[in-house]
Amino acid sequence: MRRIIALVLLLALPVAARAQDEGIPVGTPAPVVSINDLDGKPVDLGTWIGKKPVLMEFWATWCTVCEELLPKVRAAHAAYGSKVEFLGINVTVNQTPERVRRWVAANKPPYRTLYDDAGASARAYMVPVTSYIVMIDAAGKVVYTGTGADQDLEGALKRLVAQ
Amino acid sequence: MRRFLGLVAVLLVPHALWAQKGESKPITPTAIVVKGPDAGQRAPDFALQWATRDTIGPVDAPFRLADNLGKVVVLAFYPRDFTRGCTAQFQAFTAQRDSLFGPDVVVVGISADSLSTHQRFARSLDMPFLLLSDPDQKVSDRYGSAASGGLNRRTVYVIRPDGKVAYRNMDFVPVDPKAYQLLKRAVAEAAR
Repeated sequence: MRRIIALVLLLALPVAARAQDEGIPVGTPAPVVSINDLDGKPVDLGTWIGKKPVLMEFWATWCTVCEELLPKVRAAHAAYGSKVEFLGINVTVNQTPERVRRWVAANKPPYRTLYDDAGASARAYMVPVTSYIVMIDAAGKVVYTGTGADQDLEGALKRLVAQ
Repeated sequence: MRRFLGLVAVLLVPHALWAQKGESKPITPTAIVVKGPDAGQRAPDFALQWATRDTIGPVDAPFRLADNLGKVVVLAFYPRDFTRGCTAQFQAFTAQRDSLFGPDVVVVGISADSLSTHQRFARSLDMPFLLLSDPDQKVSDRYGSAASGGLNRRTVYVIRPDGKVAYRNMDFVPVDPKAYQLLKRAVAEAAR
């Protein structure tokens, strides 16, 4: 009996730890949830998911890695913005809408800015950290996830639009 | 026995699917074993060495949970100093300290990092909390928060003044605003 208990714990804990850190698995259907824009108006992600390719970045104004990543997001938008919907979902932790508005006005990111004050998308996409990018194909399937400033966004988008 | 075999089967399913598909990422598990004291149970006592942004605590004066009876205590187990998720979490804790916790709540972070790393991490965020070093993860394990590779799971416990667990979140997501709202409510209720 003790051996079974030990086996259970041995198998379960690493899985739990990985699941906490890795985000939504590639290949799964992208969750369609409703969040808000900066004015508090509801925005249904189903407006785009399943209809065209989507790139989402989960970000915050205090996220220095997001700032480092921003030039790559701009370049990716310049190359693929006509075919792919770019959404910047602010995670709202330690963020007011006013602070986000000021940051957006100053930095002019290329994405449509959304404000997830209920955390619906953070939970649905199992967002591990800010700078988390999720790409979704036109059929609504998650085809890429990544974090950090060194992501090859254009390479991933090239594969996405070639599908 | 049957229950245990059923549990083993549930736990093995994600591993089997992962291996079968040959994917680089595991399938999300549908069940996990959660150890550690649940709400209403007595929080296990422990003593660990500590560091703050300003100092490293003396060896003969560790942080002892029992010494804080009469206060609300928040235990925040986290994977590792300087990781992005932990940075986001403690940035938020620091920035929202007054609204989340108030001045009378004892907030401590716990990971396997050394005291010197803890001090550098606390300084980097100018955080006002104690960071406890649990190098062999014995305390983290008693709270169901130890994972493999010397990393902790990200969990949060709120301990009432009587030493019993008021609330726990065994999967604290540092970018989920709802996680902070629930923590804030639990701290307020524990202090009543």
